[in-house]
Amino acid sequence: MNDVRILVAASAIVYGILALAMAVFPGLILSRTAPTPGLAPFTAQQLRGRDIYVSEGCAYCHTQQVRPLAQDRVFGRPAARGDFAYSTPELLGSERNGPDLSNVGARQPSAIWQYIHLYQPRSLVSASIMPSYAWLFEVKAHAAPGDLTVPVPAAYVARGHVVVASQDAQALVAYLLALKQAPLPKAKP
Amino acid sequence: METKSGPGTDAEAKLLSAFVVSSTFWLLFATAVGLLLSFKFPYPDLATSPYLSFGRLRAIHTNGTFYGFASIALVGLTFWVAARSSGVALQRRGLAWATLWAFNLAAVLGTISLDLGINNGDQEYREWVWWVEIFFLAAVVLALIVLVSTVAKRAEREIYIANWYTIGGCVFTVILGTTAILPWYQHGLGQVAVQAFYMHNAVGMWFTFLALGLTYYALPKLMNRPIYSYALGVLGFWTNLVFYPMIGAHHFLFSPLPWWFQTLAIVFSVGMLVPVWAGSGNFFLTMRGRWELVRRSQAAPFVFVGVLYYFIGSTQGTVEAFRGLQALWHFTSFTVGHSHLTMYGFITFIAWGGIYALLPLATGKKPSVLITGLHFWFAFLGVTIYVIALSIAGTMQGIAWASGNPFIASVESAAPYWLWRAVAGTMMFAGHVLFAYNVYLMTGARPARPAALAVSPA
Repeated sequence: MNDVRILVAASAIVYGILALAMAVFPGLILSRTAPTPGLAPFTAQQLRGRDIYVSEGCAYCHTQQVRPLAQDRVFGRPAARGDFAYSTPELLGSERNGPDLSNVGARQPSAIWQYIHLYQPRSLVSASIMPSYAWLFEVKAHAAPGDLTVPVPAAYVARGHVVVASQDAQALVAYLLALKQAPLPKAKP
Repeated sequence: METKSGPGTDAEAKLLSAFVVSSTFWLLFATAVGLLLSFKFPYPDLATSPYLSFGRLRAIHTNGTFYGFASIALVGLTFWVAARSSGVALQRRGLAWATLWAFNLAAVLGTISLDLGINNGDQEYREWVWWVEIFFLAAVVLALIVLVSTVAKRAEREIYIANWYTIGGCVFTVILGTTAILPWYQHGLGQVAVQAFYMHNAVGMWFTFLALGLTYYALPKLMNRPIYSYALGVLGFWTNLVFYPMIGAHHFLFSPLPWWFQTLAIVFSVGMLVPVWAGSGNFFLTMRGRWELVRRSQAAPFVFVGVLYYFIGSTQGTVEAFRGLQALWHFTSFTVGHSHLTMYGFITFIAWGGIYALLPLATGKKPSVLITGLHFWFAFLGVTIYVIALSIAGTMQGIAWASGNPFIASVESAAPYWLWRAVAGTMMFAGHVLFAYNVYLMTGARPARPAALAVSPA
């Protein structure tokens, strides 16, 4: 090759076609996937919680995609295409340092458990390596009226203090509890 | 036309030095972050603050090493390669400096915004939001202009194969980055398809092309003989270009993406053996019979490890893409081991080999032989232990999940190997500190011997 213009043009044309075929067109088509029947859009509070989930990088350790494999049955039914219609940015994830959360709202429906676990995971699961999200909570001497106090085990909070869930913590828990797989109309592989 | 063959001008030496110093800063910063992350596995309550939390720092580590360290180091070397292999001075040097500033601006803005929790979701390697990514893309466009302008002025008739790879890498990345930023076809599952394309291509159409291009220049120079086969280089270029963009979906096997789309990715993952074996075979055959030269050189051992891990890591990538093995290793630490085998064992070692081979030629200042040796062994043993530890950790996780135990059993079974990973990471980081001292010797320190043209009093 002895003309740099041909090198640039040939590279751009070949790669441009491949980018259209493998990213843009699949993106266009799959972006129109209809939601799974029964899948509800997120409320404003749940969306705020989802933003916190995104900001704090929860998806680096928690997937939201159940595979059609035996070892994934514990997390729910296999993911269907329509499950992600309301999920932008997508949060399918690539690692499971923690369990899959596709259906966590059904698997662990206790808000109290979620609050305590977010404040200090090791107070509930001693071998857990999940970070503590203590900054989503306020530790103070007395709860004010309207405060949502969290019954954190005594060993994990200074004596004479209470742990109060912030608006962000409440939104995040609302989002987690909203993660429930809609039942599929008929069984799919 | 200002032409100066041979070692290059002082202005070019200054430019290359600035790129290498800048990339070294990002290497130290981003791997210090990585080291902290590795210790958060055995000590999850270490440094509990939103700004030092795992979820925010992970992206700072990956983007910092990718777009701060590796991109800046490789592009700086690529400029040098374009000028020397074309037998002319680097053209549009002002734009080359602007490239460096744009890369750094992107990396600084990206690091700050990620630490504030401003990101694109967990979409790996494109966590930077669009107003950060745009500076990175600007840098790639500028680099492309510099490379094309320089190669267009070449003294030789043919464009040397190294420049095919580096110019191609810039062209692909401009298209890739644009594809990644535009929002109209990225909702829900559609975004998953784009992400599958992006995350894999960012590695294979940018870093791989720059590193292979650099090797096509540096290795023949170090071995003092021409590349074994020019034709294998051309074959590798076109097959990598056509096969690589097809395989992104192998990161989403068993996902709701169309099954045939995933199968296509697996088929072309096997096809990738052609460019990988053509490239690494070409490099090994260039080294054949000259192992004494490899052993005695300071730079060549780095290039050798880079080529070896390119071969092993990419072949592993093909094997990993099979459904039977993905069922075991998907979502485990095995993947993190694989990405370090390739981005560190291959890309980073090639960048170091290029720096040790070319920077002393540019500045006339040499690194310390002892420090280079220590850097090599810390980094080489470090990454090898790292990859082995995470491969075992990932296998343990996969087995624990398949055996149907509670989830926490997989955490407990991988924990000892995560500790080994932190130890290996410490070794790697120690290597980086030694490397930084060598960079100081090759750029900032007073020369050990007078420069050729300097008037030295008797």
